[in-house]
Amino acid sequence: MKEVMMKSMRLSLIAGLLLMLAPAMASASGGGALKHTEITFDNETLRKGLTVFTDVCMGCHAAKYLTYRNLMAYPELGLSREEVDELRGDKGLLEGLITELSPEDATESYGKVPPDLSVITRARRGGGNYIYSLLTGYESDPHGKVEDGNYNAYYPGNRIAMPDPLAWFEHDESETADLEEQARAVSSFLTFIGDPHQLERQRIGIWVMGFLVLLTFVLWLLKREVWKDVKH
Amino acid sequence: MTDKADHSRRNFLYVAAGGLGAVAAGATAVPFVGSMFPAADTLAASKTEYDVSTVVEGQLVVIQWQGKPVFVVNRTADMLNRVKGHDDLLKDPMSQAIDAVQAEWMDTDEKRIYRAIKPEILIVVASCTHLGCIPLFKPTSGREDWGDSVPENWAGGWHCPCHGSFYDLSARVVNGSPAPQNLHVMPYKYKTDSVVLIG
Amino acid sequence: MIEKMMNTRLFHWVDERTQLGSIIKSQLTEYPVPKNFNYMWNFGSLALLVLVLQIVTGIFLVMYYKPSAELTYGGYTVAFDSVERIMRDINFGWLIRYMHAVGASAFFVVVYMHIGRGLYYGSYKGPRELLWIIGVVILLIMQGAAFFGYLLPWGQMSFWGATVITNLFGALPVIGEYLQQLLRGGFAVGDPTLNRFFSLHYLFPLLLAAIVGGHIHALHVVHSNNPEGIDIDQEKETIPFHPYYTVKDALGVGVFLLGYCYFVFFNPEAWGYFIEVDNFVPANNLQTPAHIAPVWYLTPWYTILRTFENKLIGVLMMGGSLAILFVLPFLDRSKVRSARYRPVFRQMVILFFVSVVVLGYCGHSAPSATLKIVGAIATSVYFGFFLLLPFVHKFEKTKPLPEGI
Repeated sequence: MKEVMMKSMRLSLIAGLLLMLAPAMASASGGGALKHTEITFDNETLRKGLTVFTDVCMGCHAAKYLTYRNLMAYPELGLSREEVDELRGDKGLLEGLITELSPEDATESYGKVPPDLSVITRARRGGGNYIYSLLTGYESDPHGKVEDGNYNAYYPGNRIAMPDPLAWFEHDESETADLEEQARAVSSFLTFIGDPHQLERQRIGIWVMGFLVLLTFVLWLLKREVWKDVKH
Repeated sequence: MTDKADHSRRNFLYVAAGGLGAVAAGATAVPFVGSMFPAADTLAASKTEYDVSTVVEGQLVVIQWQGKPVFVVNRTADMLNRVKGHDDLLKDPMSQAIDAVQAEWMDTDEKRIYRAIKPEILIVVASCTHLGCIPLFKPTSGREDWGDSVPENWAGGWHCPCHGSFYDLSARVVNGSPAPQNLHVMPYKYKTDSVVLIG
Repeated sequence: MIEKMMNTRLFHWVDERTQLGSIIKSQLTEYPVPKNFNYMWNFGSLALLVLVLQIVTGIFLVMYYKPSAELTYGGYTVAFDSVERIMRDINFGWLIRYMHAVGASAFFVVVYMHIGRGLYYGSYKGPRELLWIIGVVILLIMQGAAFFGYLLPWGQMSFWGATVITNLFGALPVIGEYLQQLLRGGFAVGDPTLNRFFSLHYLFPLLLAAIVGGHIHALHVVHSNNPEGIDIDQEKETIPFHPYYTVKDALGVGVFLLGYCYFVFFNPEAWGYFIEVDNFVPANNLQTPAHIAPVWYLTPWYTILRTFENKLIGVLMMGGSLAILFVLPFLDRSKVRSARYRPVFRQMVILFFVSVVVLGYCGHSAPSATLKIVGAIATSVYFGFFLLLPFVHKFEKTKPLPEGI
């Protein structure tokens, strides 16, 4: 009898959790349609991603929350002062990575202002996988309505204003692996800068969880010990 | 109820739980207290560049460094002369009292007295070492320009309006002032002939 | 340990001036608590813990947060920038911010469990009616505080959430339009709205702290209910709060922190449930996100709102679904408290819990024809529970109550 309440509570809890997780799982993969790539935060990948970002993306996009100083300060990126100085030219260390393209010019050329990419992987369902899919998603419109270069299989509505940044559409097969790696690297890089303390957070988290397991275990022993007094 | 063995076990568990709880509380306090220290970008913004050639001879300019005011004075030959000859009136004529009043480049007596890399360009933190007000620049000697706000034998320097501290033209504190130390010098170096990097 | 502390001279000095000793005795070391609580009774102390966590993390966040909708580079605002600065440049800012964001959801998890326990075991029934009513006030203030807080990052969900909710008040006849302008400080959600929401987001938790004090005081006057729901012998069937329930509550805190820290350190967005994806897009008053839904803890009431075609009725029903909680103690006429001995009530209350979960699910999902029907059914179950309650005692055959616990 005593257990019934607990059981029913547990049942509705589990049911609730399952109900809640179902759409989350689905939305996490963008309706299951996105390509999957391996997002990694090793130094090589992140540096390659940074290069793709500064050489390609920064033509139009900014990442204003990532400052030149951050490139040195985040150990995962770990650029040297000389490398940063070369990259920034006459920009200040505390300035963000901002594109030369003015919003007015962008609007004139592409019809809208390209979004800032600082937190882009957090602002799109699918995160890094979404960016990867987008970069490798330029195709011919099967219905022939959207001109080549503006049709993207993974963009909502398929008509994308961004011209094929990695020149994926017309690449020949020998380049496929290289372009996929570039897309993977820049997706990893953007995922990293979206939450630059995530690795540190997880490192600390492991210690915290370990400590809490110990604390909870001791509290459980103590509770059992103290409650020996209570006769039911 | 409980026997003695039980009691020692119980006490041990109390102490263990209490100890771990204290560790948890202490560890939790670290990020909160830590967050109140200057942020990464604030720390990085702690350097200031300034072109001292923009300061006219005999003039004082107040600039900002780490959000604090800094005096940059272009001292005339006459002002440099008036730095000397009153060491007996100063608390710390050779700027030796604490680290903050000296700098690596103060390797000769001359530099300790002028308190500047280039003698004519004096750069010091503009906060009175008493309680942090900004002293008033009273560069001419005697009482002619300043009335009795300065002593009779005034050789020129600074007068703090808050609590009446006096400094000479090398920003050294004068005896009888409530301020304990000379005005502080911050680390700086010349990047070019006229541009200093402060911090 | 407490005994040792109470024997020091400092304690005696304080005691002579405040009677602290007798307060500790009556409220802690000699405060009688039924000995048969199950773990459902842990959620009260957990709610108090999360309230403290929210206030403390909030105070530190305020040191760096800037409530301003002034535009900055890239379509962001001063407010959004300041949140990102907390996440990136402030020492441990990411930790404090995630503690606060996860804490908001954790607060509702424990409070909803706490309320569910009170419902199931009849803790709202006499003599604890006022205790329950104070609790409902706490719930409403919490929901308000959460709603105000969600605007502060000034993302898309912040902005459109605030737009939708302030529009609700606009549905009220006559005063609606004025009420709406009063809430927004303008004709649309904007900088003045952000500033007043920030002010209220700081005020409400302080109100909460005061009212929680009242809640605990009211509890300590009428004393705790228990899983059997019977009146107990205050001498023989109780144990002192300290040490028995202090250690049990501490154990609960340990288990809770394991879950809380998992989310804080490893999954702060909780698949988009605690921090929604669209809230990383800066607020844009010219474009509504494709799918907007409130944060999970407000979705059950959001579904009730959506169920009704007529805007005013929807708003009134949503308000009513919360307001009806105030009169719950007077709707239920049964003499037996605990659902353990009330077979019909037990089925009803379980169905009620399920309906809330289903309402929550519907409110979180994009509207569809099927979900609309499901939502309507769940809404009727929700209200049906309260409507049926006054009559249950007439036909319910309660099981015999035990002599003691």
